[in-house]
Amino acid sequence: MTEPVRRSFGSAWLKIAAAFIALFGLGDSVYLTAHHYSAEPVPCSITGGCEQVLTSEYAEIGGIPLALFGAVAYFAAFSLALLAYYGDRRSWTMFRTLAFLMAGFSGWLIYVQASVIGAFCQFCLLSALSSVLLALIAAGSVFVSENDRSV
Amino acid sequence: MADNKEKKGGSPVLIIIVVLVAASALGWWLYNGSSKSGSSGQRVPSPNSQAKPAATIPPNAPPGAQPPNQFGSPTAVVTIEEFADFQCGSCAVAFPILNEIKTMYGSRIHFIYRSFPLPMHDKSYDAAVGAEAAGMQGKFWEMHAQLFQNQKNWQASTNFRPVLEEYASKIGLNVEKFKQDMAELTAKKRVDDDIARAKALSINSTPTIFINGVQVAFTDVNVQGLKAIIDGEFAKQAASQSSNGAAPAAGNAANGQK
Repeated sequence: MTEPVRRSFGSAWLKIAAAFIALFGLGDSVYLTAHHYSAEPVPCSITGGCEQVLTSEYAEIGGIPLALFGAVAYFAAFSLALLAYYGDRRSWTMFRTLAFLMAGFSGWLIYVQASVIGAFCQFCLLSALSSVLLALIAAGSVFVSENDRSV
Repeated sequence: MADNKEKKGGSPVLIIIVVLVAASALGWWLYNGSSKSGSSGQRVPSPNSQAKPAATIPPNAPPGAQPPNQFGSPTAVVTIEEFADFQCGSCAVAFPILNEIKTMYGSRIHFIYRSFPLPMHDKSYDAAVGAEAAGMQGKFWEMHAQLFQNQKNWQASTNFRPVLEEYASKIGLNVEKFKQDMAELTAKKRVDDDIARAKALSINSTPTIFINGVQVAFTDVNVQGLKAIIDGEFAKQAASQSSNGAAPAAGNAANGQK
C-alpha cells in the first residue's frame, strides 16, 4: 500500500506544466531528428536559416544529431516531472538538475547560432524556449514548498 | 481542496511507456513521410534576411582542386563557386536552382563546384570521390546530376559502392576504370583539396555559395535571389566599363577645347 502524497496545489501544477512543456520539447526534437535522418529540408518560414543551422558541423556530436540528444533529454525531463507529480521527490531533484543543464546547453546553442553560424533555426529556438521554461519552473519550484498546504 | 491526499489516475510508468511509444511512432511517421515526399520537399528558402554579414574569399586561400569542376567561361565577369555535399538535402534542393541559373546565363558566368562532404554524412565523401572519378572520364557533371537527383535512393543504401557503379554504368563510364580511379589517390586528393579550401574559408554548412568571392546569404539561395546578385555584378561591371570609357572621352573633350 502506498503512502498518499501531500503536495501543494502550486507544486503539483508546476510538475504538470513541466511535463507538458517537456512533451512539447520532445515533439520538436523528434521532428528535427526525423528530418535529420531523412535529410529532408525543414520548412523554415520564420527565421529562414534552419538548413544552415541543421547542416552545420554543430548539428551533431560524434555522428549523433543534437536533436536526438534533445529528444532523449526531453523524454527524461517528462518522465522525471511525471514521477515527481506522483510523489517521487528524488525525481524532482533530478529534474531540476537536468532542466538547468538543458537550459545552459540551449544558451550555448543560441550563442553558436547567433555568433558562429549567423543564422537561426526556429525549431531550435522553440527547443531553447522549452528548456528555459523548464529551468524557470525548476527554479520557481524552490519557492513552492512540497508541504505547503496553503491551497 | 484543503486536503491534498489526492489519488491520481493511471500509473506513471504506463504513461511514460505510452509517451515513449508515441514519440517513437511520431519519429518513424515523420521520417517515412519525409522520405516518401521525395522532391516535393523542394522549396525555395524564404527571402528573409537574417544572414550573417557576407564573408569574402581571401586571396591567399588554398585554391582547391585544380582545374576545378567548372561550367561556363573561366573569363566570365561573374564567378559562382559552390561548396556542396552530395548527401545534403539542402544541396539537392539547390541543385535545380543552380541548374536554372546555369541555363539562364550559360557562358556569361563561370560556375565552379567544390566538394565539401560533411562529416555527419556517411556516404558523402565516397560520393564526392565517385564524382571526381567520373570527372576523370569527362563525366563529372553527369555523375553530379545522378547523385543529386537520386539522393533519396542512395543515401539510405547500406551498400553504396554498387549503387555508384550502377550510376557510372548508366552515364556511360568505363566501370572498371571508374572503380580503379575511385580506389586511387588522384580523385581523393581533388576532394581533399576542395575540403582544404572550404575549411580555410571557415565554411561550416552546405550549400555555401560565393559570387565573385562574396558569400551569398543562405536565404538568397533561390533563383530570384541569385539572379539579383548576378545581375548586380553585371551592372557593376558595365558601370565600371562605362566610367573607364567616359574618363578618356572627357579628357579628350577637355583637350579639344584647349
